Formats: sequence, structure tokens, C-alpha cells
Amino acid sequence: MTQADTTITTEPSTTSKSQPTWLIGIVVWQVILALGAIGLAIGMITGAVFDLRGVGLVLAVALALIVAFYALYSIPRLLAHRNAGRTMSTLLNYTLLVVFTVAALQVMEIFRGIDAVATNFRDQWQWSLIIIVGFLIYSQAYRFKKQEKTVQRVGRWVMIGGVAILAIALGLIPGTIEFLRRLIQPDALLLAGLAAASGVAFWLLRRHEATVLFETTVDQAEAVDGYLFVSPNVFGFLAFFAFPLIFSLFVSFTAWDGLTEITWLGPDNYIEIFSIQFATLGEGQAASDVLSTGYSQAFRFGDVIMGARDPNFWIGMRNIIFFALIAIPLATFPALFLAALLNSKIPGMKVFRAIYFIPYVAGLLGVLLIWKQLYNASIGFINYGILRLFDGINAVTGANITAPQPEWLSDPNFAMWSIIIFFAWFMTGYNAVLFVAGMQGIPESLYEAAEIDGASWWKKFRNITVPLLRPTTFFVVATTTILGLQIFTEPFVLMGPQLPPSGPNNSTLTPVVQLYQEGFQRFNQGYASALAWVLFIFIFGITLLYFWRQRRNEEAGL
Amino acid sequence: MARRLMVLLFVFALVAAACSSDDSDTTTTTTAAGGDTEETTTTAAASEETTTTAASGEEVTDLRWRTRPDNDQEAAVYQSVSDELNATFANVNLVYEAGGTETEGYQQALLTQLSAGEAPDVFWIPGADIAEFASKGVILDVRSLADADAGFAEEDFYPGPMAELTTDPATAQAGGPLWGLPRDVSAFALYLNLDLIAEAGADDPRELAAAGNWTWDAFNQVVADVAALAPEISGYGQSSWWGPVGWWMNSAGGGFFNADRTACALDTEESLAGVAAFRDLYATGNAFTYGEDPEPVFKAGQIGMFQNGRWATPGIREVDFNFDVVKLPDGPGGPSNWAFWGAYVVNANTENPQASWDLVRALTSANVQAQVAELGANIPSRVSQDALDAFLTFTPPENNQAFLDGLSENPTTEAPLWNGDWPSYRDEMNTRVNAVVTGDLSLEEYAANICTDLNQFFD
Repeated sequence: MTQADTTITTEPSTTSKSQPTWLIGIVVWQVILALGAIGLAIGMITGAVFDLRGVGLVLAVALALIVAFYALYSIPRLLAHRNAGRTMSTLLNYTLLVVFTVAALQVMEIFRGIDAVATNFRDQWQWSLIIIVGFLIYSQAYRFKKQEKTVQRVGRWVMIGGVAILAIALGLIPGTIEFLRRLIQPDALLLAGLAAASGVAFWLLRRHEATVLFETTVDQAEAVDGYLFVSPNVFGFLAFFAFPLIFSLFVSFTAWDGLTEITWLGPDNYIEIFSIQFATLGEGQAASDVLSTGYSQAFRFGDVIMGARDPNFWIGMRNIIFFALIAIPLATFPALFLAALLNSKIPGMKVFRAIYFIPYVAGLLGVLLIWKQLYNASIGFINYGILRLFDGINAVTGANITAPQPEWLSDPNFAMWSIIIFFAWFMTGYNAVLFVAGMQGIPESLYEAAEIDGASWWKKFRNITVPLLRPTTFFVVATTTILGLQIFTEPFVLMGPQLPPSGPNNSTLTPVVQLYQEGFQRFNQGYASALAWVLFIFIFGITLLYFWRQRRNEEAGL
Repeated sequence: MARRLMVLLFVFALVAAACSSDDSDTTTTTTAAGGDTEETTTTAAASEETTTTAASGEEVTDLRWRTRPDNDQEAAVYQSVSDELNATFANVNLVYEAGGTETEGYQQALLTQLSAGEAPDVFWIPGADIAEFASKGVILDVRSLADADAGFAEEDFYPGPMAELTTDPATAQAGGPLWGLPRDVSAFALYLNLDLIAEAGADDPRELAAAGNWTWDAFNQVVADVAALAPEISGYGQSSWWGPVGWWMNSAGGGFFNADRTACALDTEESLAGVAAFRDLYATGNAFTYGEDPEPVFKAGQIGMFQNGRWATPGIREVDFNFDVVKLPDGPGGPSNWAFWGAYVVNANTENPQASWDLVRALTSANVQAQVAELGANIPSRVSQDALDAFLTFTPPENNQAFLDGLSENPTTEAPLWNGDWPSYRDEMNTRVNAVVTGDLSLEEYAANICTDLNQFFD
């Protein structure tokens, strides 16, 4: 007999199928639940409850029917004392406990008051020191060998007292009164009751008595424990990642402004994005003379013009590819050499590592506002530095060279470069720290052996450091690429408010900037979602390419 | 067990804290229906509409309102206005929410909240957004409430904004519904660095304006005189958005749209003359770098004339040189300016339409507008002589009349496109004009395509 077949109880299995009262209670609850879910579905279809239409209605009805089905489907298995019934019922009731609790808190508007928690805690944090003191007493109790238990007890009660005082300071008493006032509202009371019923059913099914009744094996019990352990992550994933992702995919096939009803379009948004046309300009012809209605010029190559129904998409893609080709190497190679320096065993090097990391941990907006001033063509320090540099050169050489004074943010030829420079500066320190971490994993013996062979610093760097850093380099390049292709804050802050984030002549228009403009300035949430998915597929494709290259290198032993 | 108890107690305390109010600033005075003043505690920290019970037993409902202040000082005035008005509202507790600035995503936050059904009862939106909000049904037509309000008269406000606020989205004709009331108005003026102008020996634009000689030519001469002072000095500066270039077009007798705003008019002779003059001004090198932020440079004393709205006044009051304002010069099309404005509107989903309308009325009263305008960033949206006289006293600048002139001399009202997509039109127009000014697009190419391409943004 394997361990998997071993029940975790020594009591004889139930053969008569007599039903304990608690199991009858669970079955009754699930019948009520199923009937309620079916009633809810009918109510939603007829419009008696909730004002749902279209896909939202279909999804809500489907969910209600799934709950009803699942509740009914598990009943015969529960009554037959089969563990599958217990597992199904446990997971169903656990899920409903979470859903009903969250819904009750939402109806009671608890989530909206979260800022009040922060405000109150900010004002009352000092009371948490009592808890810390209690913890210190508790944790140091082992020093008092004879009175260890007593000291531990003291520490525990100090902590309990601290929690109680902090709770009162945070508004436990008035909050409890308000909580109860909101709880006795019909909606909240109903949801809280449903949550309580689900919770009780869940608790009953988790008891040892249920384990005995259903003859649950260790493996079966561990499987349910596993589901429960990962459930917070699963719920978080579903609520904050999967649902928005799938919803945005759905929205990308619609016309929706975020305010009024959704209109199904099918692939029209994607067709709009990818519709292009090439035409040759004749003598004295304008783009509109040779392009079909609805198309505008995106690019011009001599006499050939590329028209598109959404030229901004193509301009954005051109800009971001240019940005990536320049900015990613600039944020990677200098970081590698910087890391080589930072990895040396010179006193104080840790301070330098921290200094180079500062840009990354500093607030992006704050840093960008400083750079915006630095870039100012008239009163910015960068142009001032260039001016003084040329003054110096002229003074030393006797030449009369006019210092260039680039209009960093307003000249279409410089605007994207100013973003590239900032991005490279911002990412170099972070990437260098990653490289340093990678370098510290390279065995010292390899360098020692190379030194014995007379290898120079450069040869060691080229033949040991660089090849062995390949996994780190892959990570750095992949993450920098993903970040770079989604660039938004930089053009938004550096260009505005004098110019739109798309910059002079759309020179800093990136796909995410366009997405923002479509979604939040033109109220085209459907089209913005389609752009987001196209960008996602583009980035995903590039990332897959990196992975493919990395795997090929690994297979080739590089 | 004790550990579990502690955890449970702490979690419950956090939940309770989310229900509790910050006692330090939420005890407000509310007048009950009977006129008795009652002490009541409300949940101001929570942003939702909550209902509490006053000591008298009557229900007190939160009425949330929001506007976009230009600075912290203005936000404080709005808070104080809200507190003052609170005492005059029965069974309603006013909760003021300071919206962010334009760059801090006021519109985005509002749109998201509207989409989620969480937007305030009363909120401010820019005038150009009225069509979008009205046609989508997210703001309330308060016509019936206004008609029942004996003290209300549309004529009390500037006619331009009121025409837009009474436009029916279905017909694009004014005179039907009422979407709100204008919070304030604004117009362009030229902020003058008097020290620089005097140093350059240029004519004083205020005197030229008073003598009726303040024309494009005179303007260009002052720009050139000031710019001649030093390479780092510019004669003129403006922020590169649609407002300034639009003024050049309007001033030349052109404009963005045809008369009934149903088609592009950017390729008319007059509009093109405005763009050409604008481009030529930058081509001389006498104006501050196009696209760069001129405000800090003006404040640093390196720009002679800075074109901006009244909203720039609080910041410019901090400069350490002599400054004043003058109206914009008269172009070939005569005097011209913009009438910028924004409006308080009522959320279509408000549970308190009457109280919301009362709040809009109170917020646009002469008293409240005077309190806000005194800070310098706003011009009252009321046309009464009292309001205008009061505005003139809000100095510096001394020549506040320049703003009032701007609003009275043939201004073009900032307005939405009732039959088109203004954000797309605006962005495309900006891009093309930028290209013309920077020399990347010839005026001829611009003229050949601009309206063909932009007419697609009309319904």
C-alpha cells in the first residue's frame, strides 16, 4: 500500500451512508445556493436585478449558472461520502466566502475608506511602539532562563495591550459603531449572511470529522491544502491581471468611450491600425491626391509615400524602434563597463554602487522635472555647460568656434535624443548593479588561472567576464527592452505642457503615448485597447526572439 | 489562541478604521431643514457619498464637488468657500476635492471615476469638453432646475460660454438645455518686462495701445528692439499650444472653423496669413525658442513680452522686475482674443440634483467668484459692472483692463466641436503648425492638405 492510498484516520469507513446533521446542513445550503444562483440568472436575464446588457450580462449569467451547477453537481458526491464531493464543496464554499466577503465590504464601502486607515495610522503610529516593545520583551525572554515563561507572558500581554490601544486609537470604537450601522443595511446584511453561511460550510468540511467521513487520503488533503495556499495569489491574479487583460482584449474589438454602451466592431480597430497604402507622387501632386479616402501620409521616401489610416501608429512604431536601437545599447554597454569598475575591491566601492543606483530609486517624475530644466535651451545647465566648454576651447586654441545650443525639447531632431539620453542615464546604474551581481557569481579561480597564464585585464574581461555574464546580460537586455518599448512618462513630462507628449512634429510619439491620447484624451478606449494588444504582441515577439537566441547560444555551448 | 486573537483584533481594527472618520477635521456644522444648527460627524475621509444622521434625526448626505485649482493657494480658497457654503445647505455636507492640475491628470481621473460611477456630484470641466460630456449623457441637463430658480438669469454671464452651455448635442444649436454655469473666464494678454522694454528704448506697448497704434507692425518692432539687446534676450515668448497660434489666425481674420463650425477653415487666405505671420516672427530669431517653456525664462528677465492668460498672473507676480500687461495687438482682422472658460456641471448620476444645482449657483455667485479672482488666476464669468470693477482692483498687474479688453473686443469663445472630434482635430492641427514654424513643412504643403485631412474629424 502506498502512502497515497493511506487514509489519515484509523477509524473505519462509513458504509451505511448515514448522513450526519452537519452534512445535511451543507447539502441544504448548497441547494439554497443553487436555487438562488438560478434565480439570480433569471432575474438578470429579465432585467429584474442588475442592469446588465450584452457581454456583461452573458458573463454574469454564465457565472451564476456555473455556481448553481457546481453546487448541485457536488451534492450526490457529498451524500455518497466521496472525497471528490468534499473537495468540490470545499473549494466552492471557500471561493464564495471570499467573493461574498469582498462584496459585503464593497457594499459597506469599506474599501473606499482605506485612505482613512492611512490617515489615522499616520496620526496614531506611535502606539505601535508598544507592540514593538512587547515583541522585544517576548523575543528576549530566553535570556531570563528561570523566568522565561513569565517574561514571555509579559511580552505577549504588552503586545496584546499595544494592539488594543492602537486599535482604539485607530478608531475601533466609533469605527465599530459605523461598521455595524453599515452592516445592518439590507444589501450588506444579505451578503454578510451569505459569506457567513459559506464560511460555516467551509469550516465544517475542513474538520477532522469530515476527513473521517469522506476517507480523505493524505494526498487528497494536501491537494486541497495546496489550492488553499495558492488561492490568495490566484484570486489576485484573476482580479487584477487576468480579468483586466481579457476585458481589454474584448474591448479592443469594440467601440467604447468608457462612459456609454459598448458597441461590437469585430476586427475593425485592428484593420484601422494595419491599413497601409503605398503610392507614387506625380509632379505637383499632394499626398491626398494619390491616397485613398481615409488614408493620410505616414512616411515619404522620395516620390513614394506610405499612407495609413492611422499614420500615428506607424510614426510611433518608427520612433520606438529608433529609440530602442539607440537607447538599449546605451543603457547596457556602459553599464557593463561600469559594473567592471564597481566590482573591483577598492575601499568605498559600495558607496559608489549605491550612488549609481540612486537615479533608479529616485522618483521618476522628480528626476524628469530636473532634467527638463537641464534641457532648457536658454537657461538650462546643459547648454550653459556647452557654452562654457566652447569658451574654454576658444580661449585655449584662439579659435572662434560658435558653441552649439541645441533646442533639446523643441527641435524635432533633438527631442527623441533627449529622451534617449535620459533613459540611458536612468537605467545605467540599475543595470550596472545587476551586472555586478552577475560578476560576483563568477568563480575567482578562473581569473587567477588567467592571470597565471598572463592574461591582461581586457582579455580576462572579454574571455571570462562577458561569456559567463551571458545569463545576466540576457536578463538586462530583455528587461531594458521591455521597459524601453513601453516608454511613456519621459515624453509626457519632458514635452509637456508646452507641447503634447508626442513632441514637436510627433518626434516623441511612442505607442504608449498614442494609447494614452486615444484612451484618455479622445475617449477611444476600444481603439486604445487594440493598440495595447498590438504593442503587447510586438514586445512579446521580441522577448521570444531573445529567448530563442539565448536557448540557441546555450545549446551551442556559448 | 492569543496570537490569533491579536491578528483578528488588528484586522478588525483596520476595517473599523476604514469606517471611522478623522475626528480632527470632520466635525462640521450643518444647518438642518428647520434652520437649527446641528453638530454632526461625517466621514469626510472616505470619498464616497455617505449618509449620516444628524443629532436632529435628519439624514445628512455628502455632496462632493471638485474643481481644478491653479495652485495650492487657490485650492485653499476653494476649501474655505466650501466650508462657508456648507452652513447654508440643509441636510447636505459639502465635500470639496481638489483636482490635480492639467499635467496631473485631472481629466483622466475624472473620466475614470465617471466610468466607474464614482465621480463627484458637481465638477469642473474645460469649456472645450462640454460637447463630449453632454453628448455622452454623463452631465445633467439642469434646465428645469434653472427655470424653477427665480434668481437665475443667463444674461448674468458672458454670452459666448452660455451659448455653448445651452447647445443641444442633437442639433448643435444653442438655446435648449443647460449643461452648467461658467466658473470663470480668461483671455490672453501680453505680460511686459517693462525694464527690458525701457532698456531697449522701445515704445511702451501700453501707450501704443492707448493711442490706438498697437498693431502687428508695432508689436514686431518692440519684439525686434528688445531682442537686439543681447543674444540671450528674446522679444516675445508663448507656449506652443493651439491658443496662441489660434489667436494669430483669428487676428488675421481667419480661424479654425467655418462660420457654423462644421468644416475646417485652416486653409483660408486669412488663416494662412496668421500662420505665415506666426512663422515669420520665429524665423526672425527675435522670439523665444518655439516649443520651449518661456515662463521661467520670462521670470528670469530674458523675454520682453510673454503671451499668456490670466492664469499666469499669480506666478508672474513673483518676478523682481517691473511688469504689467497690455492687450494683444490688433491684426489685419482687427482686435481679437480668446474667451477661455470652464464650467461647473452636475453629474448625471447625482442623487441630489437640486442641491447640486444650488451648489453650482453658489459657486458662480459674485461673492465666490470675487474671492477666487482676488488671487489673480481667474476673471469672474459674470458680466455685471460690479464684478468687472472688482476685478480691476485685483492688482498687480496695474493694467487689468487689458484682460477685460480682450474679453470685450471680438473674442472667439473657446468651444467644443458639437459636430466633430476636437481632440483629434486639435492634435493634428498642432502637429502641422509646429512643422510649419520649425520649417519642416512649407506653408504651401500645409495649405494643400490641411483641410482635406482635418475635415475627416467632422461627423
